[in-house]
Amino acid sequence: MLTIIVFTPLIAALVLFFRKSLNERQVYKTALAGAGASLFLVVCILLGFDTAQPGLQFVATSHWVPALHINYQVGVDGISVWLVALTAFLSVISIVLSKNQKTNLRFYLGLLLLLETGTLGVFVALDTILFYVFWELMLVPTYFLIGLWGEGKRVYATLKFVIFTLVGSLLMLVAIIALSVIHFEATHELTFEIRTLVHTQLDPATQLWMFAFFFMAFAIKMPIFPFHSWLPHTYLACPIPVLIMLTGAMSKTGAYGLIRFCLPLFPEAIHDFGLPLAGLAAVGMVYGAWIAIMQKDIKAVVAYSSISHLGFIALGILAFNTQGVEGSVLQMVNHGIIASALFIIVGILEQRLGTRNLNEFCGLKKAMPVLYGLFMLITLAALGLPGLNGFVGEFLILMGVWESKTLLGLSVIYVLMGGLAIVFASIYMLFLFQGAMQESSNKLPGNLKDINKSEVFVLLPACVLVVFIGLYPKLFVDKISPSAQKVLHMEKLVHQKSEGGGGGHH
Amino acid sequence: MGFLALSFLGAVLDKKQVGLVACSAVGLAFLVAFWALTDLMNLEPAERIGHVEVLYPWITSGKFHLDLSVLIDPLSVFMLMIITGVGFVIHVYSIGYMNDDPEYSRFMSYMNLFIFSMSVLVMAADFFFLIVGWALVGLASYLLIGFYSEKRSAVLAARKAFVMNVIGDVGMVVAAYVIFQNFGSLNYVDVFAKAPEMYLPNSDAILLITFLLLVGAFAKSAQIPLHTWLPDAMEGPTPVSALIHAATMVTAGVYLIARCSVLYELAPYTMYLIATVGGITAIFAATIGLVQNDIKRVIAYSTMSQLGYMFLAVGIGMFGLGMFHLMTHAFFKALLFLSAGSVIHGMSGEQDIRKMGGLMAIMPLTFISFLIGSLSLIGFPLTSGYFSKEAIIISAWHAPMGNIFFWGLAVVTAGLTGFYSFRIFFFAFMGKQKDPNAHPHESPVVMTLPLMILAFLSLIAGGLGHDVLEFLSPVFGGHVPPHHEDGLLEGITLTLGAVGVIAALGLYLTDEERVKFVKDMLLPVHEILYRKYYIDELYDFFLVQPTKAIGKFLEEKAERQGIDFVVDQVAEKVKETSEGLSQWQSGKVRVYALNMVGGAVMILMFLVFY
Repeated sequence: MLTIIVFTPLIAALVLFFRKSLNERQVYKTALAGAGASLFLVVCILLGFDTAQPGLQFVATSHWVPALHINYQVGVDGISVWLVALTAFLSVISIVLSKNQKTNLRFYLGLLLLLETGTLGVFVALDTILFYVFWELMLVPTYFLIGLWGEGKRVYATLKFVIFTLVGSLLMLVAIIALSVIHFEATHELTFEIRTLVHTQLDPATQLWMFAFFFMAFAIKMPIFPFHSWLPHTYLACPIPVLIMLTGAMSKTGAYGLIRFCLPLFPEAIHDFGLPLAGLAAVGMVYGAWIAIMQKDIKAVVAYSSISHLGFIALGILAFNTQGVEGSVLQMVNHGIIASALFIIVGILEQRLGTRNLNEFCGLKKAMPVLYGLFMLITLAALGLPGLNGFVGEFLILMGVWESKTLLGLSVIYVLMGGLAIVFASIYMLFLFQGAMQESSNKLPGNLKDINKSEVFVLLPACVLVVFIGLYPKLFVDKISPSAQKVLHMEKLVHQKSEGGGGGHH
Repeated sequence: MGFLALSFLGAVLDKKQVGLVACSAVGLAFLVAFWALTDLMNLEPAERIGHVEVLYPWITSGKFHLDLSVLIDPLSVFMLMIITGVGFVIHVYSIGYMNDDPEYSRFMSYMNLFIFSMSVLVMAADFFFLIVGWALVGLASYLLIGFYSEKRSAVLAARKAFVMNVIGDVGMVVAAYVIFQNFGSLNYVDVFAKAPEMYLPNSDAILLITFLLLVGAFAKSAQIPLHTWLPDAMEGPTPVSALIHAATMVTAGVYLIARCSVLYELAPYTMYLIATVGGITAIFAATIGLVQNDIKRVIAYSTMSQLGYMFLAVGIGMFGLGMFHLMTHAFFKALLFLSAGSVIHGMSGEQDIRKMGGLMAIMPLTFISFLIGSLSLIGFPLTSGYFSKEAIIISAWHAPMGNIFFWGLAVVTAGLTGFYSFRIFFFAFMGKQKDPNAHPHESPVVMTLPLMILAFLSLIAGGLGHDVLEFLSPVFGGHVPPHHEDGLLEGITLTLGAVGVIAALGLYLTDEERVKFVKDMLLPVHEILYRKYYIDELYDFFLVQPTKAIGKFLEEKAERQGIDFVVDQVAEKVKETSEGLSQWQSGKVRVYALNMVGGAVMILMFLVFY
């Protein structure tokens, strides 16, 4: 079933690439059908998901490269299932948003679908090589989407983004291969299965460098301060629908990788180095927020606020305890919803007004009352108003940090930095919202129209989720809980040779 | 009892055009609160300890579990009565006041949202939902301050209020972490039961918790140094000022301390801090109130000052008295604001007292209400303010934690109160009309009727004092605070209050010329007070500007010329290196061959020697 979910968009993409005869409407419908079918199946999986079971579900395996024991294996647990759902959801939204893209819609949507496949694949892959392949697969469509359809310094931005990410992913590839080699040395069994490999016991020195490699890859992808410098360029150049996939879904692959690989494999390394790394995350939180305050470009405000929010997520993961990790996973979903909704709004405003500069317009409320209401709700969620979803995630993350054993000593400072970031969030979000919507202006174009039905359609689901997760987070957290516990308390069944000659294997 | 919460939820959902729906929702909530009150009254005092109603489990994360639940106990019902009672009256008043506003229904829905949020705040059975309610009232307050969203000053005031409140919220959230870490639970019942057994007075954990909660309380209740948003909040419509920034929301801080009385009794140091800040805020705000000319701002400073009294009361351990003053203050301050609103309405939006005058004859009902409100505020004998304020002032000396310093602050404030409240009274209602263009008129019944109700309550509520204290006593450890009698102290307070009034009268009656030298002498003082001790300017200089400067620095230096620059440099170097390396791929076979031989030698050497 997961296989179908992952590859339906790919099939749709291939149809788009090779059927030149399709007119624009058919192209759009094909793309929507591909993403829609995928989303529908994801909902089925959510309904069929067994909450009580901590392990992986819906697992499917088949041989891929038998000689090297590389398998095609997919499955979801309580963590990845939400990210899969998020990705499928955002894909549909971004395709609907792309409807008005005029130039070369066929390839544009095809690439978007390809991006969806890559991202979904990363979340469901249970084989390290498969994971790596999907990881790289995400990069290709992004490169073309930004490079060809982007704006401003798009080539510079794309190049920066790709080189940054490639450096990280090559390091990761080295670590992935080394991991299997070490496992082979200990057990004489060659495997690339994540489920087996995570039980490998690594000595501290090995943990250190492998952790460094993995961490670099994920830190760049998320991004974590100070590896973030590709983000503002890329986000500013990126077309809005692609940006939604980028910030909503793809940035989560980095965080997901941290949870899937780093937490179970390198507990000692995190114990030793979690403190300074969490420091980076915390600095990123404040740093992003602080710069966001100074921005006049509404897209840049949201871009820098993303750095701040992703810092929260990284911090929660590095807290290395249940509340922190659960909060982070929930916050990934929250950020995916909120940031994409904000970017949609940014896109609407830019399209209507022809500018993104806050100095050049204000007082849109009168002309756009519906947008005013929706924008306000999203703003409030983004600044973490209790009762809405953002607060639940932030509350859990900071609670995790407060109680964290690995961050002991500095946890108070990190929590206070989180608090500062929240105060700043209220400042920049209000600058953004009030600056755009309130006061009054007579310079606005006279034919300014409120958002239309299809725009409401893409914003409304986000608004509903914002309220729903805020009021009833239990539904979400209950699924995450057992899996988070399992990741945090991975039994070490496979020992390295140096530590007692093998040991039992899985 | 679950119905209670549901009826409030209903209150939010109403977004109908008619104010009737909004009012009846609040009215219904009031009736339910009243029903809960009678329920509680029927119980024996010992049994009135409270009752937790679980609605649904909200989250479970590791050890952290939380239910969405409401707490019904004397304190929460008492607060509910005030919120829904005064809220109802003000809703009715709003029908008249906001009648001409094109966004009338939006206003009503915000007001309902506020009543709902405030109910969440006081009915929460744990610290988490306290914070939720805490932030939601902040939101409602933000929305209503910024209601005239096309006015720049209103937008700025709303933002200021929101950000200050978020600072308080963060304090509360951190407090919640400390509580959870120490007690393993966020429920009031668990925490308050465990606290006295687990901790000695003034132990670190308790001090930390109480202090962090205090940050929230100070931010919400506009105590120094987190007070600057409240005067600016007067940008909102007047019913909002009456409901949120006088009667209910700003008193949430007092409620919080009363609610956590168990913790605060374990933290005498924090208590001293509360009493000191309360006393200083009382006198500080009163002095600023002396010289302001905007009728609403004067009343706003008076609110700050009265909140100072309440903090003083709870700070010296007189929780019941604090709550009692909270109640009487809710009545008379709502009355004052609504009367002021009636004046502003009648004067077509004019708020400057220097342009008013002679309204006594034109607006008799408003005049009477304002007079009753002012008398109650200054503690004129037998009005409600007399009972509650007098009790606090005397306790400030006589209570175990009281001392002459607190009493001094309180009693001087009483004198100042007399002056500022009657200064605006004389200016607005006496003498002749000053602005020939104004056409003042009395307000419609829908506005004057609420004034009458509140005036009535302001007059008689003082008699309820003992009942209130007794009713609330189960929450505060079961004892009714002793009533202190001290004729001398009472006399001093009343005298000072009278002196204040007479001074105001004097100022009003004497003509400009004769007091000119006094004015000149006091000019520097006047300037400082008029500019509110330059606190806003200080904040700007020490917080806002540095924040902006650092933000600019981070953006330009750290980001563009720092991190990004380094990254680009690395890329540049890599490029140069690869250009160097690419010379190896020159296409010349000889070079390739040489390299191959060299490589082979190196591999051989490696194999041999390693």
